[in-house]
Amino acid sequence: MNRNSIAFWIGAGLFLVVVALLPQLIRNEYPFFAAYVILQFIVLSVAWSILGGYAGYVNFGTSAFFGVGVYTAVFLFKATGAPLAVQLAAAAAVGALLGFAVGLLTLRMQGIFFSIATIALTIVIETSVTNWRFVGGAAGIQMQRPAVMAPFDGYVQMLVFVQALLVVLAIVIARYMQSSWIGRGLQALKDDELAAECTGVPTLRLKVLACVISGALMCAAGAPAAMYLQYADPSSAFNLNYSVSVLAMSLIGGTAHWAGPVIGAILLGTTQQLLTVTISSEVNLLVLGIMLVVFVVAAPEGLIGLIRKASRKRAEREA
Amino acid sequence: MKRRTFLGGTIAAAVVGRTSGVVAEQPPIKIGMSMAQTGGLAGGGKASQLGIEIWRDDVNAKGGLLGRKVELIVYDDKSSASETPAIYSKLLDVDKVDLLFAPYATVPTAPLMPLVKQRGLLLMGNFSFQVNSKVGHDMWFNNAPWGPADSWAAAFLDLGQKAGGKTMALLAADQEFAQNLAVTAKAVAKKLNMSVVFDQAYPPNTVEFSGILRALNAAKPDIVYVASYPPDSAGILRAVNEIGVGDNVKIFGGGMVGLQFAAVMENLGSLLNGVVNYNTWLPEPNMYFDGTKAFFDAYTPRAKEAKVDPLGYYLAPFGYASGQLVEQAIKAVGSLDQKAIAKYLHGNEHKTIVGPIAFSADGERKDTATLMAQFRGIKDKNVEQFRSPGKQVILFPERLKSGELITPFEAART
Repeated sequence: MNRNSIAFWIGAGLFLVVVALLPQLIRNEYPFFAAYVILQFIVLSVAWSILGGYAGYVNFGTSAFFGVGVYTAVFLFKATGAPLAVQLAAAAAVGALLGFAVGLLTLRMQGIFFSIATIALTIVIETSVTNWRFVGGAAGIQMQRPAVMAPFDGYVQMLVFVQALLVVLAIVIARYMQSSWIGRGLQALKDDELAAECTGVPTLRLKVLACVISGALMCAAGAPAAMYLQYADPSSAFNLNYSVSVLAMSLIGGTAHWAGPVIGAILLGTTQQLLTVTISSEVNLLVLGIMLVVFVVAAPEGLIGLIRKASRKRAEREA
Repeated sequence: MKRRTFLGGTIAAAVVGRTSGVVAEQPPIKIGMSMAQTGGLAGGGKASQLGIEIWRDDVNAKGGLLGRKVELIVYDDKSSASETPAIYSKLLDVDKVDLLFAPYATVPTAPLMPLVKQRGLLLMGNFSFQVNSKVGHDMWFNNAPWGPADSWAAAFLDLGQKAGGKTMALLAADQEFAQNLAVTAKAVAKKLNMSVVFDQAYPPNTVEFSGILRALNAAKPDIVYVASYPPDSAGILRAVNEIGVGDNVKIFGGGMVGLQFAAVMENLGSLLNGVVNYNTWLPEPNMYFDGTKAFFDAYTPRAKEAKVDPLGYYLAPFGYASGQLVEQAIKAVGSLDQKAIAKYLHGNEHKTIVGPIAFSADGERKDTATLMAQFRGIKDKNVEQFRSPGKQVILFPERLKSGELITPFEAART
């Protein structure tokens, strides 16, 4: 294990310990509500960039995966009263299956056509759920949370810890993929799929793998949302806002490195939370829009791109 | 004046001055809420908020509540359910508000119900529909005039039956509110021994209704009950204008959302004629209570300035009424004790600018005050015409009635 890896694992461990201890330090519930939303976006952005960043397949279907995660949890909770861990595992499994199906789509569709197909996926699934009376249909469904499990004393605090675990899991996977043969293969097919196939990169297998992992993570991120809101309705669960926000977060952070979407999600997620409770009007949409335009123009490779450029310049100067 | 008297007087004046200073410096009573400022519900949300703001200004002009000023803390929930839990947690834990008002509409309110129930808080609802039916929170109060869940469909179908209707067609959007209405409509039809000859749910965002309407006409219903959202309400009325609905239809409408908003009404103009639809407040003679006229006198110029619904009949006066309800309750119990306020609200009838309000155990109105009104003599492209009485004649409830139903629908359209 090199120095970088040791630092990473220590950082991840510390992060989880801090999140676990926070409820003892902060009695106020609001920071947990806000943190939950930001952590959720980190998982979604990291998961998105596994397919969108490494493989270059722009997925507009984040909301489809998220919503499927929500409704898998809702279904299990209503049908069997399953505990949160089971809801999460089931959502990840369903997400992997859905990811597999989307992966097969990439056989025939590339570029903009793939993106359009993923938007269609959202609409198809949302319409199906809207017509599924058991999970509340169009009217939505209200749920009462079960009692919180020890050692937590508040349900939202527990959900924040669960989401933090997912963040670590997503980053570990993304980091591994980036530095292994999988990441290199995806990079190759991003540059030129045909050339990659000719040089022996198993493009279909890699794409399907990326879709499966990305899908499983997105669905898993959606599963706790059912218990967070204690309510689910199709228009909120499949809100296109998730797709757009996640795309923006990944692009602002930069998609070439696993840290990009993390930084983007923290930056944009925090800004969104702050704007909601400060400006709180149409203006916050404008601020977000301007932020996006500025980043696209000034930093097309995201914050990670800027940092890399700066460090390269410094290295040159030192040399 | 003796020296001692002078001294005493000075001290007394100083003390009084000090105490009145303390009164003035008392922290305001904070009322927290989220409200749709962006997204699909923003049009209604802004009008509703303006109504509540007018109440705040009125109550502060009268010296506030319990000697304290009233302050509103409002955040944008983007019309989404996923925003409200964090916002209300901020309101409670960081802003430390004294009272909570719910956001406009059902979806953003639904995730709050478990929260307020768990924490034992009073929530003043804002036009939600049956959001408390499964939660059963005893400190929830809805300002909307809906009343019992089935009263909406019952009022409309009853009018239809009295006009000789025996069969019903149901056309409903596949969305939360419309489906709720559709379910109760079917139950009421069964109770009234009315057969449902056509039952169609259409997907949201449908724009072309002529095919659906032709199928509906083929079933030859006497009553057409429509539960639709603003874009589809317009689409349906345009289709009716093109191909008609046949002479056998006695009554058409019921639950069309959008026909309460000035922009939609202005846009549709004469296409509205004959439609019988729900509403909450209309400028008919029986609808003016103590303070109603003064409210609209204040609302109209401010709405123009804030660029919100120029008429503001549907939501704004009920926002004001929410304020009046807590104002009366706080004055009566003399404190901000939420349990006492809830008990007072449950136990009494309250005078508001939208009429007397009494709550049943589930926090909905005891008796429905949802209006069924028929559009008459509407001309195209004129929003001011809706300010005069007689344009939307109230047929139900009996105590607020301002005219009789013109039937069949085709006769009322001209």
